[in-house]
Amino acid sequence: MTVWSGIAEILTISWRCAAMARRALWAAKTRSLFVVIGVALGIASLTIIVAAIDGAERKANEMVQIFGPDAVLVLGGNIESRAVGQRTLTLSYDDAATLRRSLPGVYMVVPMRARSSVQVRYGGNVTQVPLVVGTSAGYARAWDWPLSEGRDLSEEDLRRGAKVGLIGDTVARELFGTRSPVGRTVLMDRFPLQIVGRLSYRGVTGGGGAVDDRIIIPITTLTQRFNMDRKYFRALRIKFHNPEYMAEHVANLRSLLRHLHGLRPEEPDDFSILTADEILKFLSTFKGGLILFLGVTALVAMVVGGFVLANLFYLSVDERRSEIGLKMALGAPRWAILVQILLEAVSLTLLGSVLGMGVGMAMGQLLARLGLLKILFSWKVFGFALFASLAIGLAFGLKPARRAASMAPIEALKGNT
Amino acid sequence: MRTDTPLIRLHNIEKTFTLGELDIEVLRGVSLNIERGEFVALRGASGSGKSTLMHILGLLDRPTGGHYLLQGEDVAGLPDDRLSALRNRLFGFIFQTFYLIPYVSALENVILPGLYSATPARHLRQRAEELLSQVGLADRLHFRPGQLSGGQQQRVAMARALLNDPQVLLADEPTGQLDSATSAEIMTLLETIHAQGRTVILVTHDAATAECAGREVLLHDGLVRNR
Repeated sequence: MTVWSGIAEILTISWRCAAMARRALWAAKTRSLFVVIGVALGIASLTIIVAAIDGAERKANEMVQIFGPDAVLVLGGNIESRAVGQRTLTLSYDDAATLRRSLPGVYMVVPMRARSSVQVRYGGNVTQVPLVVGTSAGYARAWDWPLSEGRDLSEEDLRRGAKVGLIGDTVARELFGTRSPVGRTVLMDRFPLQIVGRLSYRGVTGGGGAVDDRIIIPITTLTQRFNMDRKYFRALRIKFHNPEYMAEHVANLRSLLRHLHGLRPEEPDDFSILTADEILKFLSTFKGGLILFLGVTALVAMVVGGFVLANLFYLSVDERRSEIGLKMALGAPRWAILVQILLEAVSLTLLGSVLGMGVGMAMGQLLARLGLLKILFSWKVFGFALFASLAIGLAFGLKPARRAASMAPIEALKGNT
Repeated sequence: MRTDTPLIRLHNIEKTFTLGELDIEVLRGVSLNIERGEFVALRGASGSGKSTLMHILGLLDRPTGGHYLLQGEDVAGLPDDRLSALRNRLFGFIFQTFYLIPYVSALENVILPGLYSATPARHLRQRAEELLSQVGLADRLHFRPGQLSGGQQQRVAMARALLNDPQVLLADEPTGQLDSATSAEIMTLLETIHAQGRTVILVTHDAATAECAGREVLLHDGLVRNR
């Protein structure tokens, strides 16, 4: 016999073993179903986990992109000690002016205040705008948020406390439909406001909130018209040149602000500095927790599935002793018995993994609809699930299969072990 | 393959089973020649070792002592898979309890021994259909074993035994579970198979059944009793 005809024979016999495996599995439908379900549950949780982690990562990057890698956000009050009732209005216009003047590497300092839930009217249309943001000149540039039409807020607007504003895409749609809002005047609270620019559509951010339903006006206008504190504001957005020196920028910013606020060395900061890095750090901690928690769950599910498989296959081999003995008596080589049992195990786990992927994706859709996670089908997950189930089938099927293949033909035929 | 040597030559075959501390000598030195084309009955009471002898003859079990020359070749040192291949090509088996796979059809049961070779499926199927019609089951090809009578099941088993055109047919109490009329049919089939030129080795406890054979070997307490 040549090598090639030997290989051809092995392939032919293996193929026939596969057909026999299929018949045997079909003959024991209930048992097969249990194995498939066991594996499917494990793979389903695995699918969700990998997709969730992927989704979290994508979100994190998206958030950082929106935040801007060269930007920091300074919040009044110390986030860590806010719970003890520290005041949050610690950033003043003088601070902003000094920072703009003296901080090295800075090219933009934008103070921000906001007013929530303001009624805006245009003609017969009335809408409640959740957020009116007060800012200094150059809002669109500071937030890397391009305008789809019109112009940004200028220094002149700010100085005059001009009644002009930028409109978010959602608000524009609600008030103006398909018409252009630029140049039109709306009634905000009780004063008229001319729309000078329209922010482009940005969609939903990582936090899950919508950002397109806001109106941006000069901070001077905001404080005057809404009778707000004229000295302090809540947040400050700063952009730096050379983002690779962000650590140094932040250190400079912190010491300057501490100096301006007259803090002694033992006193804590009365402000908080957020950078893209910090956001990423927070998100990756969150992601790590997610991986650990879900990973353990999935691992347990997979191992349970594997043991279910191993047990049921021991049972199956036991029950079919005389069938296996018969096949050996009729001339089946031991490897063919091994191949058949392994194929049975692997085909059940593969079937389970495909089913599990389906269930996982369906559950993912559900989670996405609830707004918890965004899960996308990925070939990486699919490949990993197939690989994992293959490994489980082989690992947990091997022992029962070897046991079947090592039986003495005549003892097996008589139904003895 | 030399034609002057006997097909099967047993020399002083021993088989001892160990049950815990206890050694049970089932065969205690059986010597026996079987020629090509013979119809031999191995007869003995229950416990005489006749089934064990048949298992050793059919390469289903290995002796614990003595020599077994099959076509002049000592099979003692052969690896398991080589024995499987020899069983597959050289021997056909019929058992008292039929041993059919319950969840596949008669036709698929008959094809079974052919699946462990590279013989094309088409040929296997054709041959299985021929054999099933030879044993009178042409109209039962797609019946499951459970839908067939005992006699029909044994005939399926006989067709299966003949699929690979073996030289030797080993029948272990083939009529043990059948009524006398059905038994007679099975014995007639065995004679037909012998008439085709095959060697038939029949294991039985029944003197009347053994009479169909050309030669009777009487086993008693693990030894061949000479007459």
